Amino acid sequence: MKPAAYALAPQRGELLLRHSSVLYVLAMVALPLAALLWFGVSDGLESLSQLLRSQVARRALWLTFWTSTLVAVLNVVFGSITAWVLVRYRIPGRAVVSALLDLPLAIPTLVAGVMLGILYGPTSFLGRHFAGLGVPIIFAQPGIILALLFVTVPFVVRAVEPVLSEIDVGEEEAAKILGATPLQTFRTVFLPALAPAALSAGIRSLGRALGEFGSVVVVAGNIPMKTLTAPVFILGEIEGGAPRMASAMSVLLLAIALLLHTTAGFVERRIGARHG
Amino acid sequence: MNVPSHRRRASLITACTATLLWLGLSACNSGSKPAASSNADTAAKPNAGPINLTLGGYTTPREAYGQLLPAFRDQWAKPRSKELTFRESYLGSGAQARAIVGGFEADVAALSLEPDIDVVKKAGLITHDWKSAPYGGVVTRSIVVIGVREGNPKNIRDWEDLARPGLSVLTPNVRTSGGARWNIAAIWGAAVRGKANAKTSDAEGAIKLLGAILHNVQNMDAGARESLLQFERGVGDAIITYENEILVGKQKGQKYEYVVPRSTILIENPIAVVDRNVDKHGTRETAEALLQFLVTPEAQQVYVQHGLRPVLESTEKAAADKFPAPADLFTIRDLGDWAGTQKSIFDTGAGYDRALGLANGGS
Amino acid sequence: MAEATQDSVADDNRLAAELSRYATSQRAAPPRLWRARLGRQVLTGTAAFYLLLVLVAPLAAIVYELSSMGIGSALASLLQPEALSALRMSLVLTALSVTINTVVGTSLAIAIVRHQFPMRRVVNALADLPLAVSPVMVGLAFLLLFGRDGWFGAALEQLDLKVVFAFGGLLLGTLFVALPYTVREVAYVLEELGTSEEEAAATLGASPAQIFWRVTLPNIRFALGYGVLMTLARSMGEFGAVLVLGGSISGQTQTATTFIHDAIEERATGSAYGMAVLLALFSIGLLLALEWAKRRRKL
Repeated sequence: MKPAAYALAPQRGELLLRHSSVLYVLAMVALPLAALLWFGVSDGLESLSQLLRSQVARRALWLTFWTSTLVAVLNVVFGSITAWVLVRYRIPGRAVVSALLDLPLAIPTLVAGVMLGILYGPTSFLGRHFAGLGVPIIFAQPGIILALLFVTVPFVVRAVEPVLSEIDVGEEEAAKILGATPLQTFRTVFLPALAPAALSAGIRSLGRALGEFGSVVVVAGNIPMKTLTAPVFILGEIEGGAPRMASAMSVLLLAIALLLHTTAGFVERRIGARHG
Repeated sequence: MNVPSHRRRASLITACTATLLWLGLSACNSGSKPAASSNADTAAKPNAGPINLTLGGYTTPREAYGQLLPAFRDQWAKPRSKELTFRESYLGSGAQARAIVGGFEADVAALSLEPDIDVVKKAGLITHDWKSAPYGGVVTRSIVVIGVREGNPKNIRDWEDLARPGLSVLTPNVRTSGGARWNIAAIWGAAVRGKANAKTSDAEGAIKLLGAILHNVQNMDAGARESLLQFERGVGDAIITYENEILVGKQKGQKYEYVVPRSTILIENPIAVVDRNVDKHGTRETAEALLQFLVTPEAQQVYVQHGLRPVLESTEKAAADKFPAPADLFTIRDLGDWAGTQKSIFDTGAGYDRALGLANGGS
Repeated sequence: MAEATQDSVADDNRLAAELSRYATSQRAAPPRLWRARLGRQVLTGTAAFYLLLVLVAPLAAIVYELSSMGIGSALASLLQPEALSALRMSLVLTALSVTINTVVGTSLAIAIVRHQFPMRRVVNALADLPLAVSPVMVGLAFLLLFGRDGWFGAALEQLDLKVVFAFGGLLLGTLFVALPYTVREVAYVLEELGTSEEEAAATLGASPAQIFWRVTLPNIRFALGYGVLMTLARSMGEFGAVLVLGGSISGQTQTATTFIHDAIEERATGSAYGMAVLLALFSIGLLLALEWAKRRRKL
């Protein structure tokens, strides 16, 4: 973001405000993260390698990663479809649905987990049904995926909606008049704008899902090697008096999250600019 | 009316901010801001105002203390016209000890086993000889049992049954849970005492039996309570846990049963006043009174109601029919006390680690 | 935006009209129309199924739970001193978080968008960073700073200040996680608006304070409102960081969320669900306010 120039240079009061807020950010954000980084890597790569040698830790990382990726993919596909339906079709109750989509942003993640627990718990109707089929939902991986889906639903939908709304109606009509099939129309008119928005939002939802704690800790059962995710692993290490292991895992997660964040920005800017 | 709108807005925002800051600071203060005093002379402190007593407990006795603390208030504080409020926290015993060392200002530490109190002592927070208290600083007892599903469908009778292939067993994480360490000590002790069908009645036999059982453990929660909650949610065929945990669960309507193995360990739960914190908060008198209260017949009876075995002989006699007697009941002292078991079982590379290695296929 | 939304009925009509004009087209009209309709139904059905499964079902579950519990018993469990104290703690934390983050967030947004200074890019990235950090990691980070063995542990002891296992720790954790929301909303709007109005005010002789209160602030007020609501939601809902930093000490560092967690541990499902339902209702109220602010923000 290039700053817009002021006609006048910032005054003393503004400077004070700016300096104090910069100081705030440095103290509140940079300092804690620096402590985390330092603790995780201060003994060279010893903590990290000890972490990666632990089977439980490796499995937790893998579980976190593949469930978050699956959720991101599902979000890209179904989120785009949902955005399409919301923007282009006049379905009844559209306003309610739209409001509902913001619910995961407003609701505490722990409460989301509790809701899923009520819905699929062992004493519930659905829970017993699925358990009977041999497909446990809660305290098993499907439960984790449902929890992650809940908290990341808004990401792709909200990113794709404005893009779809802004597509020039004229382009679409031109394509139709020229005899394009709906599929061709979609590919040439909609996809170039949709893709970067959906993809970058999908990547962002991946990053969000990686760090999810509140809903997972209630719903997953936290069984090492089976349903123990990386954030819950970190909690276990903190409680177990191993802050170095916790920091090492945190550093790993942070690195992945930052990588995803920059990739998402890259996708937005470069690919979006080329087609948009 | 003639105040410019931006000034009105500014003063409104300032007023809101001031109110919120005041709210925040009052919240700070209501949260046990101690009457800080650099000298430890408690007699100099005024006794006006409510006394806040903070208890740091392990996971299982939370219901017991839920009843005991108000009873103590009625018995001790009311007659003295003192206002008494309690703050409680319940975590796995090891985790709780570490929390107290890490800054949690508990006045009283009610933990699962002696070494965890010693952790707090080693950090300099307990400065008196807590073991010289009546009953050696122990306030409740229990035994390690095996919890099973209603009707015991897998027909589990003793430790060696838990080593059966295909069985799923729950026990907590030894690093955070006191109960977990009692569990391991129980299995080890039964094996070395020749009462658990281990191949040999020595450390090697114990390691093999432990390894076989740990092979069946799919989950290790942070505390005994969490472990039992998992069991209640349908995880596992059997759970190794405190007798009192099972009894409390059954009181709450759970439909499981428990099996008392032939040979098991007597659990002794210690309690101690945390000197540094009581002196800082000015709560020493209250804390020590609480500890005295907890070994009175009235309090011990409350413990019994929550499934815990008492230390007081009279209560023990009266409650004898409630608590089954194992064929061979041993104590940690029969295993060389906690120092001995630290060397033989819990140290890095010692018995437990070797058993874990066996359990995971020698990895 | 209204003009981009296609009325499906008008769409059908236009399609039919076009196709009848191009009678020489290879595709016959009825199958194409039928396929378009089918496509639309499939898409709508898919979206509906997705939303029902992921979003609506859990919400319905908690509504059902409330109705089977009965409002009376839910209220009774919430009126216990422990629950009230936890609720009050959450409200105080949220109020402080909203106030502080609004002030800081607005200043940061202005600084990032309007000023040029050496650390601008770094500050911009830092302001966004809390979104990438898992809540437990936040708790761990502050623990490493202010715990007894932390970087500032000794100093805090000397000053007799309690951060971990105390209100201060809870506040720090909440402030951290809620920082980005106001910053992003205000920064976005500031960028969109440009400086023309501020510049005009400056040339007319307004002081920076006047420019802010009378030009900038009215322009950003809906974005600010939206940011405030998001900060509110995030602060009320914080769990991981306050669990690690506070230890959930009843009556002292227990928030509404850790209260629920504790209640589950005690098998007090009535209290747990009661508080969960309350928080859910609160979130829904917040949601409606959010929708309202969103609509006004777009103007």
